[in-house]
Amino acid sequence: MNFELNDEQRMLADSLRRLLADRYDFEARRRFMETPNGFDRSTWTDFAELGLFALPFSEEDGGLGGTSVETMIVGEAMGHALVNEPWFVAMAIAPALLEAASREQRQETVEAIVEGSVLPAWAHLEPGMIDQGEPVTLQATEAGLLSGTKTVVHFGAEADLLFVTARGPDGGDALYLVTRDAEGLEARGYRTQDGRRAAEMTFESTPGQRLSGGIPVSEAISKAQARALAAIVAEALGAMEASIELTVEYLKTREQFGRPIGSFQALQHIAAGAVVEIEQVRSMSLYASVMCDDPDPKARDLALSAAKIKVCDAAREIGQMSIQLHGGVGMTMEYAIGHYFKRLTMLELAGGDRDFHMDRLTEAGGLAA
Amino acid sequence: MELKFTEEEEAFRAEVRAFVADNLPDEVREHVRCGIPLTKEMVVDWQRKLNARGWATPRWPREWGGPGWTATQVYIFNNEIEAAYAPLPQNFNVSMIGPVIVQFGNEEQKKRFLPRIANLDDWWCQGFSEPGAGSDLASLKTRCDWDGEQWVVNGQKTWTTYAQYADWMFALVRTSTEGKKQEGISFLLIDMKSPGITLRPIQTMDGAEEINEVFFDDVKVPAENMVGEVNKGWTYAKFLLGNERLGAAHVGLLEARLAQLKAIAKERIVRGRPLWDHPRFRDRFVEAEVELKALEMTAMRVLSSIEAGQGGDKPDPATSVIKLKGAQTQQRMTELFMEVAGDHALPWVQGADGDNARIGPDWTERSAPNYFNFRKSSIYGGSDQVQKSIISKAILGL
Repeated sequence: MNFELNDEQRMLADSLRRLLADRYDFEARRRFMETPNGFDRSTWTDFAELGLFALPFSEEDGGLGGTSVETMIVGEAMGHALVNEPWFVAMAIAPALLEAASREQRQETVEAIVEGSVLPAWAHLEPGMIDQGEPVTLQATEAGLLSGTKTVVHFGAEADLLFVTARGPDGGDALYLVTRDAEGLEARGYRTQDGRRAAEMTFESTPGQRLSGGIPVSEAISKAQARALAAIVAEALGAMEASIELTVEYLKTREQFGRPIGSFQALQHIAAGAVVEIEQVRSMSLYASVMCDDPDPKARDLALSAAKIKVCDAAREIGQMSIQLHGGVGMTMEYAIGHYFKRLTMLELAGGDRDFHMDRLTEAGGLAA
Repeated sequence: MELKFTEEEEAFRAEVRAFVADNLPDEVREHVRCGIPLTKEMVVDWQRKLNARGWATPRWPREWGGPGWTATQVYIFNNEIEAAYAPLPQNFNVSMIGPVIVQFGNEEQKKRFLPRIANLDDWWCQGFSEPGAGSDLASLKTRCDWDGEQWVVNGQKTWTTYAQYADWMFALVRTSTEGKKQEGISFLLIDMKSPGITLRPIQTMDGAEEINEVFFDDVKVPAENMVGEVNKGWTYAKFLLGNERLGAAHVGLLEARLAQLKAIAKERIVRGRPLWDHPRFRDRFVEAEVELKALEMTAMRVLSSIEAGQGGDKPDPATSVIKLKGAQTQQRMTELFMEVAGDHALPWVQGADGDNARIGPDWTERSAPNYFNFRKSSIYGGSDQVQKSIISKAILGL
């Protein structure tokens, strides 16, 4: 048992935090959001140059052979800086999905992701499907033509490369790579509550490349969902850390009744309660990161559900607390805290909401079942 | 980062498990399983068995009889002990006064007291709280004056757990009224057989007699019973309280309790089906389990950082988190047991027979009393509110 980061992991955390402090402050983020793409291509390249996208791929695939602990470190930093770019698709989802592909299929795609030349998106959810593990209906033909609808595809309109889940010609789970400029692919992109972009996408006999030759597709999908959940937990942890930092800073500087409001015990104890919760989230983030690669998929999924439940509770408590203690300015677009609150709120819904994970855990009879 | 245990650690776990299975008397296990307070003899007997095996003082240095375990081994040991419904090493001796004497006592005191502490030859009690000094512990008034030959103690302590069993008390006493109140406190070891000490038991609302008032009337204490420097007692007390908070997690026991609760809920039929199949119950169960998993990870994290030497001399403020969450989770568990017991929780049980015998399975007897009793856990060792003030100051700098 050892909970300490090693030297390389500590360096990774430091260098990413430095990069984000230099390039991704609140003002920069606002500028990126106002561009038509809603994200910053050069930041994406910076991430690639830092080696982030190489981390999760094996060395024989041209990656660095990192673990989910590295992904957690990155997620925490991204959440802390409120990064909009869909790093988790590149780092958590794509590497798992590509395990369903043959080595030859992987080669080209991995290279493009690692060097940051493509922005990948995951077209998985369909209308009416809010949870994980539900079957998709988008249909693929023998010839690899896809027809159907996908919803809330993160940066779906702006992405270069889509990972599309489909019902294969044989009726089983199938996975296709589709380029954004493929025929018959329509996207209606929109801004999301938390400053990102997503898209409703329709496929009409859209050609795609079927991924096969690796692990079964259903296994790759559930792995991708597990890693995405661990990434969500890590990102939420980072966003909660930043929320508490901003709030404590505000408590120290804002004066009322002739003294800093942080000198009032009523407010101190609310902030201290947030510390208690975030320490529990930090623990669950470690747990989720280690468990998300557990060879037993049931143990893995239950552990992730437990972590997500904790995150949902803490995200709401810490998010609401942060706005409350900021008072009026917390209500505004001008202050960062509201943006963290919005992100935390959307993270509550991401990857299955609290009810979904409570269902999964209670139906299994709990963690120790 | 590695959450899994190594082969050696698993072997160690098996060793602890086997030891407990071979040595724990059935009667003690049944007491712990049903939440019935242990007798003094049970605690002493078990402590001596552990001591004979060299396991009575898990976190003490090897030089003073500790087993030289890693933090991981300590964690495994605690978990296995509690999971088997065995008592942990006696807390006041092993986790409170022992480490203080190791850290701040002189050679004479170490030789005189530590072996007897480990073997529970002396039962120690904690003399901190006073009627006027609870959360504001530093305002304590029990006086300790030097009469030219020895210390003379006058005053009163309260909430003293198992003072009726105790041979010795480690006490915070006032040796100066000059300057800051924290700077006039000393850490004194008092022989409970000294003339001038009287006890008054206080019954708690669950009917237990575990706490007492202790009165001191010109109690004479020799100079060699002063720990460290005069007027530095507050520093030693903070060290002790940090250790106390770290021990508040009780993960092993709580996990065993959850498993017990599940088994009970599967047996108990409510409105025609097992309680376990009622979604409202299942939700509460799972929510408690999630919170306990997070607590377990937090406790492991703090131990791991202590092992990595990142803790330094000061107690980790995260111990306040463990104290708060440990208390809350323990309390939650007692609520669940009482809820599951339902009407069986009602009788005020006083013995196996007669009017006041229990009406349900054995575990129901203490379900309500333990719920009442465990309201203490968010009050003692620094209340929830005190912990939050510590977090505000030490972590947030407010």
